[in-house]
Amino acid sequence: MQYGMIIDLERCVGCHACTIACKAEWEVPVEYGRNWVRRLGPSLVQGEMASTYYPGLCNHCTEPPCVEECPADYEEMTFTDPKTGETVTLEVAATWKDPFDGTVQIDKARCLGCGACADVCPYSARYVNPDLVDDMSEDGKADKCTLCKPRVDAGSLPACVQTCITNARIFGDLDDPDSEVAQYLNKGAAGIEPVDGELGPNIKYYGRKKDVDLLLGTSTPELVDVGPIRRRAMLAALGSGAKKSLRNVGLLGLAGALLASTQTKGESNDE
Amino acid sequence: MAFNLTRRRFLQSASLAAASIPLSKVVSAETGFVQSPLEPKGSLKEETVTGGICEMCFWRCQLVGKKRDGRLIKLEGNPKSIDNGTSICARGNAGIKLLYDPDRLKYPLKNVGERGKPVWKRISWEEALQECSTRLKGVVDKYGPQGIAVFPHGSTAKYPMHFFERTVGTHNVSEASFFQCRGIRDTAYWATIGKAPGENVDMPNAKAIMLLGSHIGENVHVSHVKSFIKGLQNGSKLIVVDPRYSAAAAKSDIWVKIKPGTDTAFLLAIMNYLVKNEKYDVDFIDEWADGFDEFAEGIADWSFEKAAKECNVPAEQIKAVADMLADNAPNVSIHPGRHVSWYGNDFQRQRSLACLTGLLGAYYVKGGWVPGIKPKVGKTSWAKHDHGDEHNLNYNEDEELRHPYTPPGTPTELIRDAALTGKPYPIKGCVIWGQNPIQTIPGQEKMKDVLRQMDFVMCVDVMPTDATMWADILLPEASYLERYDMVKTGTQWDFSEKHQQFITARMPLVEPMFERRDNVYITNAIAKGMGHAEEIPVKTVEEMVEKNLAVAGLSLAQLKKEDGIHIRDGKDPYGVPEDFEVLLYNEDIEDAGFPGIPTYVPVDPPPAGYARLLYGRVPVHTFNRTQNNAWLNFAMPDNPVWINDETAEKLGLQDGDTVGLINSEGFKSRTTTTVKVTPGIRKDSVYMAHGYGSANPLLSVGVNAGVDDQSLITKIAVDPETGAHGMRNNFVKLIKDGKVLDIPA
Repeated sequence: MQYGMIIDLERCVGCHACTIACKAEWEVPVEYGRNWVRRLGPSLVQGEMASTYYPGLCNHCTEPPCVEECPADYEEMTFTDPKTGETVTLEVAATWKDPFDGTVQIDKARCLGCGACADVCPYSARYVNPDLVDDMSEDGKADKCTLCKPRVDAGSLPACVQTCITNARIFGDLDDPDSEVAQYLNKGAAGIEPVDGELGPNIKYYGRKKDVDLLLGTSTPELVDVGPIRRRAMLAALGSGAKKSLRNVGLLGLAGALLASTQTKGESNDE
Repeated sequence: MAFNLTRRRFLQSASLAAASIPLSKVVSAETGFVQSPLEPKGSLKEETVTGGICEMCFWRCQLVGKKRDGRLIKLEGNPKSIDNGTSICARGNAGIKLLYDPDRLKYPLKNVGERGKPVWKRISWEEALQECSTRLKGVVDKYGPQGIAVFPHGSTAKYPMHFFERTVGTHNVSEASFFQCRGIRDTAYWATIGKAPGENVDMPNAKAIMLLGSHIGENVHVSHVKSFIKGLQNGSKLIVVDPRYSAAAAKSDIWVKIKPGTDTAFLLAIMNYLVKNEKYDVDFIDEWADGFDEFAEGIADWSFEKAAKECNVPAEQIKAVADMLADNAPNVSIHPGRHVSWYGNDFQRQRSLACLTGLLGAYYVKGGWVPGIKPKVGKTSWAKHDHGDEHNLNYNEDEELRHPYTPPGTPTELIRDAALTGKPYPIKGCVIWGQNPIQTIPGQEKMKDVLRQMDFVMCVDVMPTDATMWADILLPEASYLERYDMVKTGTQWDFSEKHQQFITARMPLVEPMFERRDNVYITNAIAKGMGHAEEIPVKTVEEMVEKNLAVAGLSLAQLKKEDGIHIRDGKDPYGVPEDFEVLLYNEDIEDAGFPGIPTYVPVDPPPAGYARLLYGRVPVHTFNRTQNNAWLNFAMPDNPVWINDETAEKLGLQDGDTVGLINSEGFKSRTTTTVKVTPGIRKDSVYMAHGYGSANPLLSVGVNAGVDDQSLITKIAVDPETGAHGMRNNFVKLIKDGKVLDIPA
């Protein structure tokens, strides 16, 4: 199973309903977006006038580079197949690719806010949301499109799909050959793969040739050089770990922290 | 992969977190700090409130609200809607940012500074209403009811407009939606087919669609865009006639890059070809049209070559358009347009569109012009009285109509000229309700002079605007999400589906905050103060809505029970009505002194060194009304000026450069914007989105965002038949780094 989305550029009129609905649904700060719409052209594409849009969002890649770069600690997480109820337990950092629905998700509580995942994403689909701060990160938390996982798990559609005024956004399981999205794959819908990349983006674009050419010609990203990002993430993890520990543990020291962590629930309930 | 794992292990062992305490779960022993929820909850499980009708624009999609702790957190399309369904556009989605905009008007305000440079003092409603009534009554007592001018816009403005027009008795009412927008279309079709056309083209079922200037996609009305896209998905051909490669042109089969102002020549050549080659619908014309012979003779000169020269497009392309229309007739949507007040020759163009639709037999047929059959509801308002035409500015000394095909109300320019000259009588009281005449009406300085000479100006609005700066008293109105208001009716938008009708009424999704009040409350109080208490038609806005619903056998309680929308079986809208007639030649128009056969009237070309200023819409804004909306501003924060790429190269302009503009009358833009360099616009024109560049400093987001195109529209054209404005006859140069750049020919 791999959830994904088709963007049908024949239908899209670039109206931005999707970006604003997302802002409302997920309380995205004004100056950020979990998705975006860019107008492309009018330009000449092989001598022909063309203009289209780049409605973008997290590609929930088959090989997501962001997941690799997360410096947070591994923790065990149990995932459930929404169809069969089957479970599997994996060790994951603060961001992972769901083994069942194929979406890429973030545990904001464990996110260090270092921004490595955002920096490494060639699509710039992630950002560090400065509104989300806790004792782990004063800088905010990595944030991005979840393909509206909470809505989808509850049987609803992603907010952007629900509001799309021309049904240009179609959500579904790309692995299910009977799904509408899979039909689009048969018609040639394709993801925006970075230059020399093999990420397997799962947002697929469909449209007339000149429009798809314009989209790919203007919006195909380069892979990001991970070297500097890794070094910074490493430092962030080190610094963050030390800083946060000191602040949280305070004078009690490590043993106190351990004690506090085991008593957290009871204490806060008493209040 | 291996590297990553190694790295992560390294990090784990290196950080203090390696002691396997997940830090986020630690409560600080020192501060007792408990983290706030990091995951937004989403709207899905929140309380749903129904009954909303959007007014971020005037298409009026049906809404539901999602509410948390008494606060609206999200708006969605009402799933019960057969109009917009669960879809709403960017503006609709951003409605909550208007609702909770901290810059909104909150209390009645009195201007203790001067008009245009206001200093606001908060006053009580009692004081505000008393002042409005006393001052307006003073104007009526001194100058007569004709001394009051009203500039209304929006659903709440109807009730006060009718009060001043019908009860007080002034003709001097000028709606922007008519005189600066669609009035010409309505009266030109009325003079041809006896009906205003709306945008009633059956695009989902068309085999060919022709848009002349309409930029659907940038111009977003949800069910209309749905119709358009459905038509294209069903295989319709698309012809877009536009000097610019618009959002719609980008989906076209034929883009006609027409020279601005020459559309009528283009249409006449097509019609002449259809007539000469008997490619028109002979049976339809025989049965339903009048004046065919005069018409055919009158347009006989219009060869493709003649039009090609005039329109600056290839003759073969005009022929290709004509053939595409003829080949697909009668299932052809000739779009009547919406904002059509362009060049001051617009009545004749709109008449041409109506005639072309007739030649193609494209009335009341699948894919043609087909109005849906809507249910009837009431229209409760102030009782009509005949106030005579003595003070109707549209009549000249010989008691002839100056503009015989004027839409309802009085042409704006006649009102402004009377106000400025005092002839034939002074106009000294002004009511601005939901309209922004500073950024709607051409000749901004003239409008300011009109307002300066008033004895009293009152404004009612939801937000501060450039017009509210000119008020003496400024009243805060409840927004569309906080009030009862209009009743909306309609049908399903795809006539190939089951015929259905709907009736819905705007109901508040939340209570108004601060001291915002509704239109009926405000108008009635002023009416009482002006001595018209006896004539008040309804005590509350709810009462008005109930009366209007009762005509359809409905009530607010019933609508609430039905999730905000009543749906009933509809009627088949196809089939020409018995009394239908297409007046290809209209003798009455000729008798009134204008061409009775559609006639091309050329407009002035740009002077050397200038380009024509064209303007239009962007999908995230309703002109100026939405400029202060933080989400919409972020989506499109300014209005880049489109310039042809070859022209830009000659001028040394790069995409994204910052520029100002100056027009041929020396008016300079107050602010700057960016340049969009593209081959998708003619060399003789530049284009920008309308409504940007607000000057009101109380708009903390929208002030000075982009350039106010209206400030550059100073050459005033008036369409002679209708008295409506033409706003695309202004010419500009760009200014970069203080240097004025001549636009090469």
